[in-house]
Amino acid sequence: MALVALLSFIAEAQTFDVKTTTLKNGMKILVQEDHSIPNIALYIFYRIGSRNERPGTTGLSHFFEHMMFNGAKKYGPGMFDRTMEDAGGSNNAYTNNDLTVYQDWFPRSALELIFDLEADRIRDLSFDPQVIESERGVVASERRTSVDSNNFGILFEQLNATAFNAHPYQWPVVGWMVDIEKWKMEDLRSHFEMGYSPSNATMVVVGDITAEEIFRLAQKYIEPIRSHAPPPPVTTREPEQLGEKRVVVRKFAQLPILMIGYHTPESANSDYYAIQVLQTILFAGQSSRMYQRLVDKDQIALFVNGGSGLSLDPSLFRVTAQPKVGIAPEKLEQAIYEEFDRVKTQGVTDQEMEKAKNILLANFYRQVRTISDRANLLGSYEVYIGDYRKLFTAAEDYNRVTKADLQRVAQKYFTDRNRTVATLIPEKPEQEK
Amino acid sequence: MMKKISMLSLIVLLLASSVPVRAAEGGLRLPPYKKVKLKNGMTLLLMENREVPIVSFSFIIRAGSVADPRGREGVSSLAAALLRKGTRTRTADQVSAELDFIGGQFAASASFDFTAGSAEFMKKDITKGLGLTSDILLGPAFPEEEVKKMLAQRIDGIKAAKDQAQAVIGQYFSAYLYGDHPYARPTGGDERSLAAITRDDVQKFYQTYYTPSNTILAAAGDFNTAEMERALADRFGAWAGKQSPSINVADPASFQGKKLLLVDKPDSTQTFFQIGNIGIARTNADRVYIDLVNTLFGGRFTSMLNSELRIKTGLTYGARSSFNERRARGPFAISTYTRNETTERAIDMALDILRRLHERGITEAELKSAKNYIKGQFPPDIETSDQLADLISELEFYGLDEREVNEYYARIDAMTLDDARRVIRQYFPLDNLVFVLVGKAEEIQTLAKKYATKVDTKQISQPGF
Repeated sequence: MALVALLSFIAEAQTFDVKTTTLKNGMKILVQEDHSIPNIALYIFYRIGSRNERPGTTGLSHFFEHMMFNGAKKYGPGMFDRTMEDAGGSNNAYTNNDLTVYQDWFPRSALELIFDLEADRIRDLSFDPQVIESERGVVASERRTSVDSNNFGILFEQLNATAFNAHPYQWPVVGWMVDIEKWKMEDLRSHFEMGYSPSNATMVVVGDITAEEIFRLAQKYIEPIRSHAPPPPVTTREPEQLGEKRVVVRKFAQLPILMIGYHTPESANSDYYAIQVLQTILFAGQSSRMYQRLVDKDQIALFVNGGSGLSLDPSLFRVTAQPKVGIAPEKLEQAIYEEFDRVKTQGVTDQEMEKAKNILLANFYRQVRTISDRANLLGSYEVYIGDYRKLFTAAEDYNRVTKADLQRVAQKYFTDRNRTVATLIPEKPEQEK
Repeated sequence: MMKKISMLSLIVLLLASSVPVRAAEGGLRLPPYKKVKLKNGMTLLLMENREVPIVSFSFIIRAGSVADPRGREGVSSLAAALLRKGTRTRTADQVSAELDFIGGQFAASASFDFTAGSAEFMKKDITKGLGLTSDILLGPAFPEEEVKKMLAQRIDGIKAAKDQAQAVIGQYFSAYLYGDHPYARPTGGDERSLAAITRDDVQKFYQTYYTPSNTILAAAGDFNTAEMERALADRFGAWAGKQSPSINVADPASFQGKKLLLVDKPDSTQTFFQIGNIGIARTNADRVYIDLVNTLFGGRFTSMLNSELRIKTGLTYGARSSFNERRARGPFAISTYTRNETTERAIDMALDILRRLHERGITEAELKSAKNYIKGQFPPDIETSDQLADLISELEFYGLDEREVNEYYARIDAMTLDDARRVIRQYFPLDNLVFVLVGKAEEIQTLAKKYATKVDTKQISQPGF
């Protein structure tokens, strides 16, 4: 009964209307009108990320993301940001393993200007050697901050580098420092050629607009830009892991860290929803199994979390936990394995299934309440799962997951031989030894 | 499902289905909300907003870490976090299980001047959610075992935070800047003060300050105002409590002179630093003007600080400045980071930009750009029910009202270059500066003397901030 009630409730809630078109150059555009505030969120998803890189040029996608703000033909160095901010807009961008995503947030009055700015940099990006050198410093600083100055960043990098032998997910999105220091102009140019064809991008616009005006502006500014060949497909598949792998990082720290990675399928795989439900039962909220066990009952961890993000290729489900002072990371490991085993042997309860679905539904509402988050979610479903409409059936897809599915995915993916364990072990500096 | 109201001006605001944020001539209007004072003195604020079937609550208790007993810093923060760890009728596990089962959320934490919390439920579960919220707020039991557990967690948590300079530099800066003023004391406590706290301290803090007349509860979301008012009056109307003592925080004086604290973190490849002085209170009459100038100085991507330190020189990933507004004057700080070898160059550059702000001021074009920027970026700050509930409860705490939003654009538009000159002189420090550097002392300690006659040093692993 509860299930039926939930379904009808969801159907009522997910009513936002998305209009789409595909430009002659191949760029797909999704538009959702929302006049609640006089603002607009415009996201462009390029299907290029660190998985499209090679050893020697790791981090290039991310570096390129920075270069997209550093000047084109009509709007020279510094002008993209200045022009946008003068008009009341702001922007950002992110790069991950799979994608480079550009985000503009602006008042309605700046709409046409934003199209002009975006078209300029897709069509005519400039490559000024001096600007490249300065931006290299910025990215190096970003790496020092997110990796060197962050023990979680260091361990995360080592976990991935150890878990993947063949697949490009083995290197960090920000790139190895030695590669950051060595990219050349030609590398950037060929990256632009490879990734930045309009046909390789999806634009999502949400906010105080009409679909007709967005399509008209896109036809005027974006459609004339010629497309070229998209990036060559990434054909590498990570071979099956044949036994546990371990890596240790020793450095100055007060507390250790534990990370465990399990190979799990890509987001478009049919097991995706079952893994998400399992993740919710194990890690979401203070009543979750892992929190209850490690933080509350055994009191061996400061925190524990886990999950898998969206990905185009098979990736990792990562568990991260920080031991309390004086507790060995191995003790946390044992507790985590026991909790996975408990799902494998005894399954989960009906109550837990219903709870997980309620949490996922509430999270869904939280993810669609701003124009910005909605633009991001629509684009993510379109790109990762292959169809934005899967967003509207997500609740049904979750509802279809059974207790047996959870037991099956736990047995299939969360095994000894499929895991990589990374630990950070604190070292005191010389003078304190 | 959506209805459009007007296209009179550039600023047209309305949220789906109800009439929350409305267009006004040349500006925004905060959605209407009802203020109710219960007989026991508790303040309720009610705002309908139906974009998603969710109801958001924000509450404020008029006491924060400033009210922590000396040597027991962290009590207010613990009391807030322990609220949900067991009540008269539910164990901690039961609270969590019931909250999670309906996809609900409850969290509370203390800041310097007040304790703030939020709860959120889907509309279909609102009765259950309200029952839980009132049980948590009115009847926390603070079980001994849960208090001990959390204290142990938090002491280790501070050590873990110190492994990341960025997570703690603000606390070192506050402690060093404020000296004897209560804002110097860490809101979450430190390794030593936490070790001294007992269950009685927590219980006493709750009994003293969590009283109806000391409490503001705002609800925003998918509900009917009359029904919600009745439901809240049912839950909270019988709450009895004596008057809480009022908390007075003296306005701190700006630091005179120059001083520098170097916190040694031997594994650092970068130096993280903050430079500043005492800034402004939340209710400062010039706050909109100060924000406009700070937007240009260090508040946005193309700001003077970020343009020089990042865009033009690549010395850092980001440089910014901010005024942290509190009930009394909060801190103003320039913050950035750069690799060990370029520390001196980056500090010199930051100081130079500050000097230029005073000497050169800002231009008409820059002022116009800042006005556009703030107005263009503001609407998404009041887009969702949780944002709106937070906003109206905070306005109530500070004795402010809907004019903060309704007159906001007019105040922005009114600012002139003369105002800018005055604001720069009055609020942006120049000769009196406090520096805090977290980095590898071995490589940067020699340059410390260049910036201040008084230099202090600490090891990051030393307890306290």
